[in-house]
Amino acid sequence: MAEKAILYDSSKCTACRGCQVACKQWNMNDEAIPTIENGVDSRNWGSYENPRDLSPATWLKMRFTEYEGGGKLQWLFTRQACMHCTDAACVRVCPNGSLYHNEATGFVEYNKDTCTGCGYCVDACPFSIPRSDRNLVFGNAKMDKCTLCTTQGLNRLDAGMEPACVKTCPPNALIYGDRADMITAGKARVSALRANGSPDAVLYGESELDGLHVMYVLEHSPEVYNLPVNPKVSAASIAWKDVIQPIGWILGGLTILGLGINFIIARKAKMNREQPVKKEEEK
Amino acid sequence: MVQEVERYKKPVRILHWVHAGAFTVLFLTGLVLFIPALGFLAQDSWTRIIHRVAAAVFIIAPLIYLPLDWKSSWKGIKEAFNWGMDDVGWLKAAPAYYFLADEEAMPPQDHMNTGQKMWWLMVIIFGVVFVITGIIMWVFKTVAPAALLQWMVLFHDIAFIATGVMFFVHIYLSVIHPLMRPTKTGAWSSMARGKVSAEYAKSHHAKWYARIAKGEEKKS
Repeated sequence: MAEKAILYDSSKCTACRGCQVACKQWNMNDEAIPTIENGVDSRNWGSYENPRDLSPATWLKMRFTEYEGGGKLQWLFTRQACMHCTDAACVRVCPNGSLYHNEATGFVEYNKDTCTGCGYCVDACPFSIPRSDRNLVFGNAKMDKCTLCTTQGLNRLDAGMEPACVKTCPPNALIYGDRADMITAGKARVSALRANGSPDAVLYGESELDGLHVMYVLEHSPEVYNLPVNPKVSAASIAWKDVIQPIGWILGGLTILGLGINFIIARKAKMNREQPVKKEEEK
Repeated sequence: MVQEVERYKKPVRILHWVHAGAFTVLFLTGLVLFIPALGFLAQDSWTRIIHRVAAAVFIIAPLIYLPLDWKSSWKGIKEAFNWGMDDVGWLKAAPAYYFLADEEAMPPQDHMNTGQKMWWLMVIIFGVVFVITGIIMWVFKTVAPAALLQWMVLFHDIAFIATGVMFFVHIYLSVIHPLMRPTKTGAWSSMARGKVSAEYAKSHHAKWYARIAKGEEKKS
């Protein structure tokens, strides 16, 4: 299987949120009906966005942005879900390989059974995507995020189907296929948008973080959509995982080795010092 | 009967062993996140629960001890920051001593020798680092900015590496090193029974022994 990707075209999206529903339905992420009685904050907060944020049971949600430019008001839509980065911060910081890349498709998958609940991925993600419910006293938690429909037992891709969100999208704002084809399609769409009154149109994700496996066609600069213009793995993550931790392994190994060598040398030195005394005693 | 001098009072020894026990548990439950091959032991968060119980002991034990005896606590803390030329001499003489059992060049040491002082200073400094970074990750995990939490992990890890390595050295030098084997006189005896032989005190902690021999300082 070649490297795969989803291409999301914000300029075609109608924000019907069919993808949100399909995602929940396929992945069996039911949530209580959002009422205050059910513990879900469902008050009007000035936006049609619903739910208000991602959660362990909401892996995909549409974000709405009101944008004024060139004398007209635009209602912009963005997909908020895992971008399946090639240089994925979450994979870097995961302490036991629970998060990993699917080598064939390039998607970031995870094994929820082995997740330790440390939450390092939650803090490291440049797109702020992973979520976990956390018991604050004891700290038990499990991370969840978009699996790109590769959840064990619910794997659509292995069954030859496209992801649930793509399958359901009425205006074909979401398409799925080989990553190279998605880049070609995205670039063609960006050229068309630029020629038709959106000079700032960009393809987001072609090279960000060594290439995202979910790419966006945007009519404006990414920051208009609340997306990081230049997403990066944080300095703290790199300092920790690429510098401090290897130093720790080496230092730990050298210490144990050094103490072992010291034991052998010092024991011999001690015996050598005691021997003359013993000989004298024998005399 | 060998003449003995008191080195550590009972409350100090209890604090040492309670803290050592808590640290051992914290070290092992932290190690599973440090070595990827051990990571499977951390799944389902159960090592985190143990880590937090041990962390509570680690934090509370000194807080109980400090008000019991402010005076000797303060004296003990000051000891960690009291450095002089004999410490330089110790560092120079240490390789010959610990590898070749050659104590010729070893300058006279106080109640704690330079190596012990180094470890004690690290325990104080990194203990504070552990507690501050740990509490932020424990209590503020869901509200603190992600960037802050990432730096807290980094500093917690630096403290872990530094104290973890010295933890091995500490155990090795107290009970395993060939020169430390006589458990009746040396480091083991001072923390297990609180007493060391006068002979040991004189040869290993000459400055301290001179003071207690004069009766200026009874014990610490």
